[in-house]
Amino acid sequence: MTTGTRAALALPHRALLHSTPAEFARAAVPYLAEGVGAGEVAVVIAGPDATELIHEGLGAAAHGVEFIAAAGWFTTPVAALASYDERARQDWWPRGRLRLLAEPVWAGRSALEVREWLRHEALLNVALAGSPTTLLCAYDAADLPPALLAHAARTHPELVDEDGIRPSHGYVEPADFYAECNAEPLAPPPITAARRIFGAGELPGLRAFLTREAARHGLPAADTLPFVLAVNEVATMVIRDGGGHGALWVWAADGELVADVTDPNRGMPDRFLGQLPPRPPHQADAAMWAVRRLCHIVEVRSNSMGTRVRLHLRLPA
Amino acid sequence: MPPGIGDDARPAAPAGVPADAVAVGAMRFGDHLCLTYDNEDERRAILAAYIRDGLRASHKIIYLADEDDPAAVLNRLARAPGTAPAALAEAVRAGHLVVRPIIEAFLATGRFDPAETVNLLRTEIDVALVQGYDGVRITGETSFSLRGWPGTEDFGAFEHLCGEAIGAPGSRAMVICQYDRRWFDAAQLRELEGCHGAQVRVDDLHDDGVLRITPIFTPPGLRLTGALDESTLPAVRRALAASGARSGHFCLDLGDLEFCDLTGLGVLLGALPDGRAEGPAALPHRQIVLRGLPDYLALMMRIAGWESMPGVHLERAAP
Repeated sequence: MTTGTRAALALPHRALLHSTPAEFARAAVPYLAEGVGAGEVAVVIAGPDATELIHEGLGAAAHGVEFIAAAGWFTTPVAALASYDERARQDWWPRGRLRLLAEPVWAGRSALEVREWLRHEALLNVALAGSPTTLLCAYDAADLPPALLAHAARTHPELVDEDGIRPSHGYVEPADFYAECNAEPLAPPPITAARRIFGAGELPGLRAFLTREAARHGLPAADTLPFVLAVNEVATMVIRDGGGHGALWVWAADGELVADVTDPNRGMPDRFLGQLPPRPPHQADAAMWAVRRLCHIVEVRSNSMGTRVRLHLRLPA
Repeated sequence: MPPGIGDDARPAAPAGVPADAVAVGAMRFGDHLCLTYDNEDERRAILAAYIRDGLRASHKIIYLADEDDPAAVLNRLARAPGTAPAALAEAVRAGHLVVRPIIEAFLATGRFDPAETVNLLRTEIDVALVQGYDGVRITGETSFSLRGWPGTEDFGAFEHLCGEAIGAPGSRAMVICQYDRRWFDAAQLRELEGCHGAQVRVDDLHDDGVLRITPIFTPPGLRLTGALDESTLPAVRRALAASGARSGHFCLDLGDLEFCDLTGLGVLLGALPDGRAEGPAALPHRQIVLRGLPDYLALMMRIAGWESMPGVHLERAAP
């Protein structure tokens, strides 16, 4: 691929690092006004403060902008990606070029969540590549940890401040960032975790076991079938496409129900596995996409020695 | 997670198939069952299985037909899927299968005498056992009872006597009484059905304790009960392939499908190859109608991007 085509396909995905509300408004308002003026589809997904600032700054032009609450949009990384995909295909792209302003939610995120939302930022470069989209992500430099801001520069090809747009020299290819996210090994399941092995023909028993464990740990009944569907799907991959048999651990920790499914024999190629909306004929990707959609967060660690898939579901507080 | 997942929104069992209905393949000596039908395909499937099982088990089969022409009855039976017309003809030639016009029962006395008719059946059974058959399967059409022939006013009395005779200890006979729902009124039918041990229903195509696959007829299709996963998918592929000759609307009743994985759903919808060599494209005219779609499967269809597949329709639940 030549530099020229790469540039053409690259997503204009910029991080806006701001230190004050005024600084935010001075960059965000002209960005949106320019889009509205050019007949683009302008969408803001932000918290209440940022939304307020943009409303004030745009004045009457705010009527031409769609505002979406960040809290409802950024629920899980894969759900957010699915929402982008669905809304863009159905409403936004048919009407023109999309100009997005997003303010990711970081407050209250666990270390695992922060890593997966950073991974999400990197994946957006792949998911929206080549689409008629410009995406500006707002980061509050006065409030967010420096390490997180450093990662913003690594996941966005361009940076924006009052002086304009400049390339982000720290930018890392999404595949490399993705691999980096997977480099940290998963801690082994606690010794108190319930364990069960499975093979072909044994999934009915596995599902009964999962249902019992879900109830024991207080997973609401309405979330139990999605949990069972997700674990069953991973176990099916192990049976059908992997080594044929595997093991399952279930436990609760930090307000989450966690399930590990392992394939002791076979690695599972994880190049954005199930991270992007499935397009035929990538069936393994479709299954893993469904698994991710049914869970809060799914971690995959795989090499020639085997595979471990860890599924997290939130338990009621 | 969207609300409503796991809600139990299943439609009631379709009319005419009570929960205690006995599969024809599970019938035993002493059974006096009732086949109330309004669909010829369903009736034919049940009777063809009854006869096929009887031929295999060396049972004499006696078919009491409303029609005067036994050949017409045989032609009708021979059209059932999975039936070999040559085998039927051979069974008739050997006396293994007898098709007898009901009118013959009237010829002796000029009127329908319930007790005398049951005695005739008893004699038929005894003779068959003496001839060396291991048992006797009887089936009779009943619409003649509506024609006002003398003695048919109290057909229920005949059914009661018949049930007693067939159900007697040591009996080596079984009976299916065929009732055409289009001819009998509802109250009459209820009373006559009450004279039987149960309804008879079509055999399941598959039942391994995890998944049950049952043919349905109005509309034609399959009902899946239980769980569709990697272990039961091959049976579903086989059932879909076996019904492959049918085009037009094909109903999948999923109201009792408590679990279904993504591959299973894809195969049902025709989104994934269903095991036929040519794949789903081989049946471009088949329209899939989904009945009783559970909420979790609606969710899976959305997630997989299969909610607006061409040729797949959602049947709206009756209010």
